[in-house]
Order: sequence, then C-alpha cells, then structure tokens
Amino acid sequence: MLATVLKLIAGRLLTAIPILLIVSALLFCVLRLLPVDPAAMSLPPNATIDEVEAQRRDMGLDKPLPQQYLIWLGDALHGNFGRSIALRRDAGSLVAETLPATIQLALCAMVIAAILGVGGGLVLFRLRGTFFEPAADLVSVLLLSIPEFLWGLILLFVFGVALQLLPFTGEVAPGLPIPHVTGFLLLDSLLVGRVDVFLSACLHLILPAVALGLAFSPTIMRVLRSSLFDVYHEDYVAQARLRGVSEGRILLRHALKNASLPTLTLAGVQFGILFSGTLLIEVIYSYPGMGNLMVDAVRNADLPLIQAIGLTYCIVVLIINTVVDGLYVVLNPKLRVR
Amino acid sequence: MPALPRALCSPRVVIALGMIFCIACCAIFAGFLAPHDPGDQNLLAILNPPAWDSGGDPSYPLGTDSLGRDVLSRLIYGARTAMLVALFASLGAMIIGSILAHISGYFGGAVDWIIGRAVDVWMSFPPVILSLILMVGLGVGLGKVILAIVLVDWTRFCRVLRSEVLVVTRNDYVAAARLLGFTHWQTIVREVLPATLPLLITLVSLEMAIAVVVEAILSFIGLGVGPNQPAWGQMIADARQYVYQSPWNLLLPILAIFLTVTAFNLLGDGLRRTLDVRLAETGR
Repeated sequence: MLATVLKLIAGRLLTAIPILLIVSALLFCVLRLLPVDPAAMSLPPNATIDEVEAQRRDMGLDKPLPQQYLIWLGDALHGNFGRSIALRRDAGSLVAETLPATIQLALCAMVIAAILGVGGGLVLFRLRGTFFEPAADLVSVLLLSIPEFLWGLILLFVFGVALQLLPFTGEVAPGLPIPHVTGFLLLDSLLVGRVDVFLSACLHLILPAVALGLAFSPTIMRVLRSSLFDVYHEDYVAQARLRGVSEGRILLRHALKNASLPTLTLAGVQFGILFSGTLLIEVIYSYPGMGNLMVDAVRNADLPLIQAIGLTYCIVVLIINTVVDGLYVVLNPKLRVR
Repeated sequence: MPALPRALCSPRVVIALGMIFCIACCAIFAGFLAPHDPGDQNLLAILNPPAWDSGGDPSYPLGTDSLGRDVLSRLIYGARTAMLVALFASLGAMIIGSILAHISGYFGGAVDWIIGRAVDVWMSFPPVILSLILMVGLGVGLGKVILAIVLVDWTRFCRVLRSEVLVVTRNDYVAAARLLGFTHWQTIVREVLPATLPLLITLVSLEMAIAVVVEAILSFIGLGVGPNQPAWGQMIADARQYVYQSPWNLLLPILAIFLTVTAFNLLGDGLRRTLDVRLAETGR
C-alpha cells in the first residue's frame, strides 16, 4: 500500500513540475515589467551612471528576458534566490527563517478549523428537520461569507481591544527571548526549557489561529453535513437502526466514518488556501512570518525577495495538494486496488 | 426568464437588495450625504470620539481619524470606492471568464484543453499572493485594483461556468439550433447563454462580495486605490495604529465591510436557492 501511495505522490509531483515552471516564468515576467531598476535600487543613491551600468551587467539585466529567466531559474534550483535589495541579505535564508512561523500558524489554524468544522457539521446535521434548521442554515451562510481578513479584525477588536483578554501583536510578549533551534517557536521554547516563553507564545497564537480557523470551518461544516445526508440514504444506516443501534452511535460510528472522506478531500484543498490566508492574518497581528516579510518586500518593491516568497507559497500549496491526494488513497480502500 | 421574478420574492434576496440599495445610495450621493470633504484635515481635532461619547464634537458625528479627517464622510466615500470596485471588477471578471468558459465548453477539444490548463496554472497561485504581485507590477490606483481583481478572479467564472456549458450544450435544442442553420455564435448567444445566465448572475453577486474584500485587503496593506481616495481598508490600517485611543475608528469600517459583504453573499445565496442552479464552488 505504501508503494502505491508513494508512486501516486511521485506521479503528482511530476505533473506539478511543468505548472511550477510556468508559474515561476509568469512570476518573473510580471515583476520584470515593473518601472523600477533593480540595479539602481541595490546601489547607494550617489552611485554614478557607470556604476549602475556595471551593476546591471553584473546582475545580468542587460541580457534578453528569457535568458535572464534561465539564469534566475538555475540559481533558484541551487537554492540561491539572490539578495534582498532592502534588507541586504540572502533572500533564500530570509524565507527559511520565517517559513516555520507561518507553518506553525497554518497548522494550528487547520486543527481549529477541523474541530470547529466537524463539531459544527454534526450539530447542523442533528438540527435537520427541526424548528432551528432554517436559522442554523442562515447562520452557516453568514459565517461562510466572513473571510479571514474580517475574522482577524473582528477578533482583534473584541478580545484584544474591547475585552483586553488576549495579546494581539507579535509572537511573544515584549522582553522575552526568542530561542532559535528548529525555527518553530512552540517547539523551541520547550526544547530550551522556557515554559514562560511557551505559554506567552501560545497566548499570542490564539487569536491569529482562531481567526484563520474560523474562516475555514464553515466550508468543512457544510460539506460534512451534505455528505452525512448522502450517507444516511445508504442501506447500512437503515440496517443499523433495525438492529437497534442508538442514533448517536449510528452518527458517530457508522455515518461519520464514511462521510469523512469527501470532507477530508475538501479540507485538504482548504488547507492550501488556508496557508496563503496566513499572509493577511500575519499582517493584522504583526506576526513575524513569511506573510509579513512578503508585504514588506512588496512595499519596498524588493524584487528578489518577492520572487522567492511568491514561489515558496506556490510550492507549499502544490505540496499540500499532492500530500492530500496521497492521504486520500491511504484512507479510501476503494482506490487502493490496482 | 420566469425564474427571476420568483427570485425577487425570496426574503433573502429582498433583504439583500435593500441593503445593497442603501450602500449604493451612499456611494452615488456621497457628495450630498457627507458632512465634510473626506480629505479635509483638521489637525486641531485628531482622533475625536463619536458625537455621543464624552468629548465628542457634533460637527464630526462619528469622530475623526489620526489626521483629523471626518470618519463619517470617509465611510460614505469609502462606500463609493467599494461599490465601484465591486461593480467593475466583477463585471470584468465575468466577461472574460464567461466568454472563455463558453468557448471552452461549447467547442471542446484542443481549445478546451488549452483554456483548462491556463486556469490550472492560474489557480496554482494563491489568490492573495497573485493580487499582491500584480499590484506591485501595476502600481496603486482604483483602475489598477479593478484590473488586478479581474486578472485574478476570471478563473472562478471560467471553471464553474464551463461545466455548466458542457451540460447545456448536450441538450437536443442546441443540436436542433445547429440543424436549423444557426452559426456557432448564434447558437451560443441565443441557446446556450440563456440557460447559463442564472448561474452567471449568482456568480456575479458572490464575486462582488469577494471584490469588496480584496479591495479592502489591498488598501489595508497600502497597495490599493492610493492615498487620495478614501477606502475602508485604509481606515482600518490607520485605526489599527491608534486602536486604544479610538476603538470606534476600527469598528466602523469593519462593520461597513461586514454589512456589504454579507449583503452580496445573502443575495448570491438567495439567488442560488431560487434559481436552483448547480453551484460547484462558492466563494473562497
């Protein structure tokens, strides 16, 4: 079984390569259309025209666009994304430093989205045919219409500003040290034995993760509910009922198991979208991840950094979608037969 | 189309249209409704609370921002920006997306394959990232924001409508139209388009909600309509810095975006239910 899954994942990754090539070419072309000169920007303002020209030749900007792209691609394959113009550091290592924080946020948000989505879906399903159904339905539509950007701001306002319950800026309280071992702050703080840092990091993660999770739970909720409806038309549900199995047990042991497959596929696709949703949440909560780095790079028109981060987002989303496909095969025995 | 009058009787659609009508009135008559010019700064009255709060000034009913600009006037003019973006961005995305979807679904074959792959590549960019990168390339401004949203979101229409066109094209009346000597163009416009129109209308109203949010996001980041045009996203970014001094300044634009987005989504949901169309993908 493992071989099938690995083969499937490898196949999907192969089809992802042409997409990635086109995406990177598009990224490269769009940013080259900018009316800014990366050579002039990377030099001090008092540089002479000759110096700028020399820098242009040095950076390969005098060559035709396709050739520039191939040079950039070759460097990128070696992990060299060029130097950030504004921060004067290697763009690749800047991405590597901020990526763990973003992954940590995305994972926490996904867990919260799954819990809220499955719980909400079960509640929504149990309310079917009751007096509350239209109201619950309307609420779920309204929830579905609130994007992560608004959830982030609403939670910040309610719990951060109005009630002053939770912190809403940064990843730990100011003054606390930030240990660097793996880059994942929650893990690192425990590794170096700083429980106070760990607790502070947890508190700072609550609002961003819940905001992001809330934005994605309604979709899971609605898909779970509609798959539960489908499953309840199956004979084994009627049969279980005839055997005298309780309704709660039918729902949790029989129906939920089978309804979870379509939900999981969707949750996987959602995780890809959720990952890019971290960008806005990071900006709203000044959380030091890749999203904030991206927005700074965009404000400074820092081309190498924008390219590196843009490509990283695309790669991560493609990987997530591939892994979800593999997971689907692991969990669905019907797809395993070959 | 007998389905549309029926849709107008649905309570969701009526409430949503009422809300949108109010917001649209604010947008159209902003010049009459706003008590101040949205760009007028009064540095003697910065971060004033709303008039009902202690220390509030009745001439600034909802208070002032960090540059002493009237919050109410900026909210009203922000509605104009939001509605302009919602209208033109969703129409633009609809036109490009639906033309490609009809070509792709009607003709099939190589054209369908090429358009399908283009959509795949486009969608492998996370929308937020793509719109940010486009805004870097295009620069700030109202037209640029609309263009960026059109360039990002045409795929939404293309993908959903294509499958609908595929189904409609298989109908006998489409074949009959061809047999009667209709050209491909006539068949698409007179036979296929009327059948896909309900889905198209639903998608436009959902897209308007998305456009409002994207505009707010871009303005919040500082890559939106530009500093001289009032926008809700900018008001939020400004209020985020002075959140303890004047929480109202943060709450009001959030509320404005929330109501607008809810109205468009409620409209889309109501239309979807009454027009009974297959909707594979909704919203983001």
